Amino acid sequence: MSNKAARNLFIFGSLFFFVIFLGLTVDTMNQIDGRAPEVTKEVDAGKMVWQKYDCIGCHTILGNGSYFAPDMTKVVERKPAGYLKQFLMDPRAVKPTAAMPKLGLTSREADDLVAFLTWISKIDTNGWPPKPMLAAAAGVGGKEQTRGQQVYQSQGCSNCHNINGIGGTSGPELTRVGANGKDAAWHVKHLKEPRSVVPNSAMPPYAALSNDDLKSLAAYLVTLK
Amino acid sequence: MTVKYQSQKIAQYFYTFAVILFLVQVLVGIIAAIQFIRPDIFILNFNTIRTLHINALVVWLLAGMMGATYYVVPEESETEVWNYPLALFQFWATVVAITLVVLGYIWMGLDPQANKLVLGTQLLNEGREYIEAPRWADGLIVISVLLFLFNMFMTMFKTKKWTGIQGVLLFGLVFLALMYLPGMFYSKNMIKDQFWWWWVIHLWVEGSWEVIAGALLAFMLMKTIGAKREVLEKWMYIEVGLVLFTGILGTGHHYYFIGTPKYWHWIGGFFSSLEPVPLLLMVWDAFRTTREARNVTNKPGLFYTVAHAIFNFVGAGLWGIIHTLPQVNKWTHGTQITTAHGHLAFYGAYVLLVISMIYVTLPSIRGVKDYNPARAYLAFWWMTISMVFIVLTITGAGMVQVYMERLMGLDYVAVKTTYNLWFWILRAIFGVGFLVGVSIFVYDFFKLGREPAKQKA
Ligand code: HEM
Ligand code: HEM
Ligand SMILES: [Fe+2]
Repeated sequence: MSNKAARNLFIFGSLFFFVIFLGLTVDTMNQIDGRAPEVTKEVDAGKMVWQKYDCIGCHTILGNGSYFAPDMTKVVERKPAGYLKQFLMDPRAVKPTAAMPKLGLTSREADDLVAFLTWISKIDTNGWPPKPMLAAAAGVGGKEQTRGQQVYQSQGCSNCHNINGIGGTSGPELTRVGANGKDAAWHVKHLKEPRSVVPNSAMPPYAALSNDDLKSLAAYLVTLK
Repeated sequence: MTVKYQSQKIAQYFYTFAVILFLVQVLVGIIAAIQFIRPDIFILNFNTIRTLHINALVVWLLAGMMGATYYVVPEESETEVWNYPLALFQFWATVVAITLVVLGYIWMGLDPQANKLVLGTQLLNEGREYIEAPRWADGLIVISVLLFLFNMFMTMFKTKKWTGIQGVLLFGLVFLALMYLPGMFYSKNMIKDQFWWWWVIHLWVEGSWEVIAGALLAFMLMKTIGAKREVLEKWMYIEVGLVLFTGILGTGHHYYFIGTPKYWHWIGGFFSSLEPVPLLLMVWDAFRTTREARNVTNKPGLFYTVAHAIFNFVGAGLWGIIHTLPQVNKWTHGTQITTAHGHLAFYGAYVLLVISMIYVTLPSIRGVKDYNPARAYLAFWWMTISMVFIVLTITGAGMVQVYMERLMGLDYVAVKTTYNLWFWILRAIFGVGFLVGVSIFVYDFFKLGREPAKQKA
């Protein structure tokens, strides 16, 4: 191949691939609006808050960003909205061990940010993040669960709490919660309205659960020793 | 040995700015590494430290490439830089603009409320990774780059001696400048925001910068070995051609899971898997040429050039291809595996590129034929061994993270604070080793040609 031929191949080849890339870009732009809910004023304001505090300097979102703190793509599915807002405004007031600093978000900013994160969680991401393979495998067909365990799972308590290392770290660990002297009655009361026994608790109330479910759940909790 | 054209010496200003920022980058990198263990150790939060770390990186690499271009274009065009005072002005204006941006980051880090919305954009920090610089700074950067490109084109027009190397170099730089623009507007829709953001990030490091690297590689092999231009330029066209044939559509490997359509899995997976091919070709090119070497005077220059080619392939090519298929990326996306790749790729492809250009061109800029190469090699081994261990450490952390968090479903914070603790400690230690290497290099940079060269035995 002569130098001139190699040069022409480089120029026209690159141009060729760039034109294809542009075509795909146009098509993608046309599809994007259909792959997420409409961007409301709150969502847009929330995105501005996200950028103002440089959240991406610690977190990833849609898997892009920094790897210092958890991914935010599905965070609203894992944390109750009330908890999230309280946490955003003052992380260590609700979780003393939080590494996240108090950034000074106003109540309004926190609301907008939650709207933005809620919008993010509804994007069609082609199934990302994937469901943990091994945990899913262990959950089905394993040993029979008690009613309390089932309620614990179906209510998503493990989004915030962990038992034997499985679960979140937003709330206190429950591995030995039965050993702290609180009885089943205390737990029922706490589950119905956390703030009635723990002032300023960031846990959402579960008053909507049936009495039976509450009792089974409390019974399960006191067995954890 | 001395420069053929006095104005080539302008390169030295840019190199000096670059090596100082390199030192800053690594210093704050160590702070960031320690913050993984103790988040509250420093007055500035992690996000500000990280912003400084990656912005210092990008700016010093760009400054290094600009300096290199100011050296290469006069040499290839066989004439002085078109307008030397303009080049000097462009340098100082850039330094001032960058200093303002950095002060803004620090201010914002101390008081986030200072990052106000002005005319619809953030005043101090745009809050978008790598392109945190606010809109007003984008404007200044664009002006600086335009002045630079204009000066270089006018230099070429003076003699119209079009060479392949200088043509490809300028093509890469124009492409680079154009690819800054997609990061300069606001999208309400986060999917679109991320889509255009990757145009900047990906089409820089896997597009235009790699084209610039191809041109500079040919230049350095020609200078250090005296290899034949004809052959070098032919392979250069093939290499940079393949870089763009694979790299442009390879952008798709960032469009798997951000809300963009599924066909990117096929396009991104296929084309990005081919991206290592041109990088391998560059390694082969470097070895093929080196084998012809007879009497090389600038051994460190050649040494760094070959090392750049090898680590470009290892960091970008190998550490890139491991996580580039959608089936794999689904599990590793946004984990420490990404960081491991990011470090080795930037180090191998661009840190070593700029350092080799410095060693290839600085002796003639300083007007010396011979210099003591001991520190150049010492710096290389300190930096490279430390970087390899940083990368192995973080790859280990990434494997633990993928297994425990993504496969087993443990909480992110639990994995980070307990299971990966040792990896963070090791990274910080190897980081100090890297700092030793950088310090030796920076010291050598200031000393080279300014002390009596010891005669070789
Ligand atoms: C010199 C060239 C390259 C450099 C400097 C580089 C650098 C980087 C950096 C810094 C990131 C992280 C971006 C972020 O912060 O979100 C990244 C991501 C990525 N790179 Fe590269 N890269 C290079 C070449 C390549 C090549 C050749 C491949 C494929 C063969 C590749 C595959 C990837 C993939 C798949 C990701 C996404 C990781 C994720 O999903 O989290 N890179 N690269
Ligand atoms: C003393 C050596 C270094 C240390 C201790 C260090 C540490 C760090 C840390 C802690 C982060 C944040 C990662 C995260 O978000 O999880 C980071 C990010 C980054 N560093 Fe470094 N770094 C060092 C040297 C370098 C060098 C020499 C380069 C360039 C070759 C580099 C390029 C980057 C890039 C591109 C990122 C952002 C993207 C990513 O995390 O993949 N660093 N570094
Ligand atoms: Fe990429």
